[in-house]
Amino acid sequence: MSKIICSAAIRGAYKIIERAEKKYGEALEKWGPDKEVGFPNTAYYLPIIYGILGIPVSRLGDMKQVLDKCRSLLPPPVSDKVWLPYLAPALESGMATFFAEEIIEAIRYLEEPDFYTKQEDPAGSNIWLGAADDIILRKRGVEFVDGTAPGFAAILGAPPTKEIAVKIAQELQEKNLYVFMCSDNNGVRMSEQLLEAGVQIGWPTRLVSFGPDYTATVFAMGFATRAAMSFGGIKPGDFHGNLIYNKNRIFAFALPMGPVSDEWYANAAGAINWGFPVIADTPIPEILPTGICTYEHVVSNVPHDQIVQRAVEVRGLKVTVSKIDIPVAYGPAFEGERIRKEDLYLECGGGKTKGVELTVSRDMDAVEDGQVEMVGPDLDQMKEGSRLPFAMLVEVAGRQMQEDFEPILERQIHHLVNYAQGIMHIGQRSIMWLRVGKAAVEKGFRLKDLGKIMHAKYHQDFGAIVDKVQVKIYTDEAKVDEVMDMARKVYAARDKRVEGMTDESEDIFYSCTLCQSFAPSHVCIITPERTGMCGAYNWLDGKASYEINPTGPNQPIVKGECIDPVLGKWKGTDEFIFKASRQKVSTASAYSLVHDPMTACGCFECIATILPLCNGVMIVNRDYLGMTPCGMKFTTLAGMVGGGQVTPGFLGVSKHYIASRKFLLAEGGLKRVVWMPQMLKKELEAKLKSRGEEFGIPNLFDMIADDTKGTTEEEILPFLEETGHPALTMESIL
Amino acid sequence: MALEIPKVSYSGKIKEIVLGKGDKALTVGGETSYPFYLFEGQMSLKPRIAMEVYDSTPEDWPPAALEPFADVVSDPAAWAKKCVDTYGAEMIALQLVSTDPNGENRSAEEAAAVTKKVVEAVDVPIIIWGCNNAEKDTEVLRKIAEDCAGRNLMIGPVTEANYKQIGAVAIGYEHTVIASTPIDINLAKQLNILLGNLGVPDGRILIDPTTGSLGYGLEYCYSVMERIRMAALTQEDERLQFPMVCNLGKEVWKTKEAKQSREEAPKLGDPVKRGVLMEAATAQLLLLAGADILIMRHPEAIGLIKDMLNDLLAA
Repeated sequence: MSKIICSAAIRGAYKIIERAEKKYGEALEKWGPDKEVGFPNTAYYLPIIYGILGIPVSRLGDMKQVLDKCRSLLPPPVSDKVWLPYLAPALESGMATFFAEEIIEAIRYLEEPDFYTKQEDPAGSNIWLGAADDIILRKRGVEFVDGTAPGFAAILGAPPTKEIAVKIAQELQEKNLYVFMCSDNNGVRMSEQLLEAGVQIGWPTRLVSFGPDYTATVFAMGFATRAAMSFGGIKPGDFHGNLIYNKNRIFAFALPMGPVSDEWYANAAGAINWGFPVIADTPIPEILPTGICTYEHVVSNVPHDQIVQRAVEVRGLKVTVSKIDIPVAYGPAFEGERIRKEDLYLECGGGKTKGVELTVSRDMDAVEDGQVEMVGPDLDQMKEGSRLPFAMLVEVAGRQMQEDFEPILERQIHHLVNYAQGIMHIGQRSIMWLRVGKAAVEKGFRLKDLGKIMHAKYHQDFGAIVDKVQVKIYTDEAKVDEVMDMARKVYAARDKRVEGMTDESEDIFYSCTLCQSFAPSHVCIITPERTGMCGAYNWLDGKASYEINPTGPNQPIVKGECIDPVLGKWKGTDEFIFKASRQKVSTASAYSLVHDPMTACGCFECIATILPLCNGVMIVNRDYLGMTPCGMKFTTLAGMVGGGQVTPGFLGVSKHYIASRKFLLAEGGLKRVVWMPQMLKKELEAKLKSRGEEFGIPNLFDMIADDTKGTTEEEILPFLEETGHPALTMESIL
Repeated sequence: MALEIPKVSYSGKIKEIVLGKGDKALTVGGETSYPFYLFEGQMSLKPRIAMEVYDSTPEDWPPAALEPFADVVSDPAAWAKKCVDTYGAEMIALQLVSTDPNGENRSAEEAAAVTKKVVEAVDVPIIIWGCNNAEKDTEVLRKIAEDCAGRNLMIGPVTEANYKQIGAVAIGYEHTVIASTPIDINLAKQLNILLGNLGVPDGRILIDPTTGSLGYGLEYCYSVMERIRMAALTQEDERLQFPMVCNLGKEVWKTKEAKQSREEAPKLGDPVKRGVLMEAATAQLLLLAGADILIMRHPEAIGLIKDMLNDLLAA
C-alpha cells in the first residue's frame, strides 16, 4: 500500500480523534456522563460503533470506552526511516476515524438539535439531512437487497463546476445508485451545486445531502453498517460478518472530488475496510492490487466524464437493463415467426449477399458500453425488396469474461434477434440470414436496433460474465469485408481450440443434473471429449453456465486422480456422482457401455447398444423411427435406458460424442460400430471418415451397415463379413 | 425370534417455521420421518389448514362452495371472521385474485387496504396469495409487506422472477415467504438457495411445490412432493428441509366435476357431496405426500381432513 496514502491517513486519523476527544471533553463538562446521546429514531445507537464493536452508545459516558478503543487502534505516525507494509495500520486508523466521527456527529445533535432536518428532504434553507432514521433505512435498504439500488457513491467535496456536478449526479442516478454527499472542496459543496442548478435533492431523488462536514461520511457508512445488521442478520459486534456483507452486497464506492486532505485520506482508508474502493479526480497515488476490495483499492486522476463508468467498473457493479428500447414487440413468442416474400422489406446474408455475425471479447477500456455504431445505409434509406451486405460485430468486455465464452454468446444472437417481432434470423457465423418484414419497418424498426437488442439482452442474460457491450453494424461493403476477414480468422482459431481440447488437458469437468426432476438419480458428466448426451451441453457450455448461474445444474467437478484411463473413471467424478445421485450410483465410466455405463436421463440424442452376434455396437438416433437390429425401436430402447438407471450394455450418447476420440474407448471405439441408420451416418459422414483414417481404416465408414443393408443382426452380418468389418475379429465384447 | 420390522433411517429434519404473531401463532414442520410414519420418527407439529377468503365476490363458484359463505362473500373481513368464529379456522388464506392484470386489475393500494382489514379482523396466522402474475404480485405484495410490517404474514407465490423484490421486503418487514416453483424438485431447491443467498432467514421460508386437483395432474404433484421429502429427510438435502404449502381449494373447485350440477352430470351423484369429497380426497393425498399447510375452501371437507389428522396422529 502506498506509503504516502498510509502516512496521510494515519495523520488524518490523529487529527480527527483529537477533535472527537476535545468535543467529548466539552460535552461531558456541560451535560455530564448520563446525558442521552444518539442519532434520531434508530435502534442501532451509533451504528458503526454498534455494528463493529458491539458497544451500544446511549449516554455521553459510553463514549469514553470508544475513544479509548480509537487510541488503541491508532498506530504510531509513520516515520521516514521505517518501510513497512502499511496496510493494516492504515485500515485501523480508518476504522478509528469513523468511530471518532460518529462521536463528533452525535455531540453535534446535542449541541445543535436543528442542525439537520431529520427527514427525507431538505427543509427550507436547511439542506442537510443528517443520519437516516430506521424508517428510511428499512424503505431504502430493501432496494439495496433486491438490487433496485445496487449501492451508493459517497462523494466528498465537489467537482469544479455545477454543470459537471449535475452530469455526475445524473450518471449515478441512471445506474440506480444513491449519491451520498458531504464535505466541501474549497468551500464548494456538491449538494449546493445541484440546488443551484435546479436539481431536486433528498432521499426520493436518491441525491442525499448528508452534511457539510467531512465527518458526515459516517452517515453513509453507518447506513451500510445498519443494512448488514437489518437485512443480513449480522449481529452487532460481528465486524467481520458486517464488512464481508458490505463487500459482497453493497456496491458502494467513494469519490473524493478535489484535493485530498489528511482527513479525507483517513475516511477513505476507513471505507476500504468495507470493501468500498476510492476513485479520485486528483492525481493521488494509486493502490491497484486486489485485496480488501474486490478489485483495485484506490484509482486516481480520473477525468470527470469517465469517473462514474470507472467507479462502476472498479467496484464490479453490474449494469441492469430492464427495457429494450426498440419500436417493435420483443419476446420468445416471436421466435418462430417467418417472413415470407410478400412481407419482405429487406434481406441480408443467406447466400444472397455477404452476411456475418461475430461476438468477440475486448479489454475493458476498448469497449464503450451501450454504443451502437452503424456504417452504411439503414432501412430508412432502402427501398422495399432490397438487399444489403451485413456484418454485426458485438464486442464485449467483462472482469469474468473469457475467450471461451465468445462462441456461447455468439450462438445466442440467433434467438435474441428472432425475439423481435417482424424480424427473421436463420443460421449463424458467416452463413447467417436476416429478413426484416414490412410491418417492422413501418413501426420504425432500423437495423441499428439490433445493436440495442444485443446490448440489453447480453446484460440481462449474461450479466455475470459481461460488464460492457458495444455493437457495430455494417451494411457498407468494405466494412463488411473487414469483419468477414476477421471472423474467418476467429472461427478458425475457435475450431482449433475445441478440437485441441482433451479430457487429459483439463482438470475440471462439469456436471449436469438438469434432468433430475424426472430422473432423480441421473448425473451427467460433461468432459471436453464427451458432450452431454442431449447434445445441448458441451464442456464450454457447462463452464459458462456455471459462471452465469453458480447455483444451477452445471457444477464444476475437479476430476482428481485417474482411476482408469480407458474406462474413463476419476476419483473426483465418482465422488460427485455418489453424492449428486443421492447415494444411488457410486461410479460411472465416461467411455464404456459395458462397465458401469453412465446413467441416462431421457433426453439422449442417440442410444448405443450391443449386437452380440456381430460382436459390435449399434447406434440409433431419436429421429429414426424404424426397427433396429437389436430388435427394439428407439422408443422401446429409450424406455429401458432412461430414468437414471444404470443399464450395462446400453448407453445414451450425443451425436457429437460418436465422432469423439473417446467414444466407447473401452470397447474399441468407432471400430465397434456395426450399424447406424443411414440418416445418422450421413449427418456424421465427414467426421466419421476422418476418424476412420485415424484408425488406419480409411474405409471404416463404408463398413458400417445401415437400415438399407438390414434391420436384423442376421441381415447385416453377411455385409459386415463381406466388407471385413474390424469388430468381427476384435475380442469379445461381452 | 421376534420379527423385526425394518426401519428407514433418517438423517434430516424439516425446519420448524413459526406462522403469524402473538397468542394464535402456529408452528409447522419439525418432521423426522415420512408423513405419518410415527413408528419411525416424530411428527409432533400437526399439519394446519388455512381457510380461503377472497378479495372480491366469487363469480364462478358452484353453489356447493358458495353456500357456507353466502352472507359474507362481498366483505373479506367478515368472511375471515366467519371462518374463524363459525368454522374454527386456525389460519386464513387471503386470495388476491382481483389484482390480476387480466381481470379486475385492482391496484396495490386497494389490495393492501383489503389485506389490512382482514389482518385487523382476525388474530390467526394469515397467508396472502397473489394473482400469480410475477410483476403485479411484486407490486402488490411489497405494498402489503410494508403496510403490515412485523405481522409475519406468509406471502406468496414468490417465484424466480420476483424473489429478490419480495424476499427483500420479507426480510425488512419481517414476513415469511412462500417459495413457489412449477412441480420441479430442482427448481424448488434452487429457489430456496437463492432466497438464502439473498438473506432470507431459514425460519422464514415455506415451499409451494404447485398443486393440482384430484384427476388433474395430482399424481405428478404427489411424486414431486414425495421426492422433496425424501431428499430432505434421507439424502441430507438441507435446502429442501422446509415445510410445504398446498393451495388446493381453488384447484379443486374450478374443475368441471366440482362445478357440474346434478342435471349436467346425473351420473356423478350429489353435487355438494361430490365437491366436498373431491376437495377432501385431494387434501388427504397431499397430506400423505408431505404437506404441512393446506389451503382449503369447504368447511365440510376441512372437517373430514381434521378427523383424518386426528386419527392418524393419535398415539
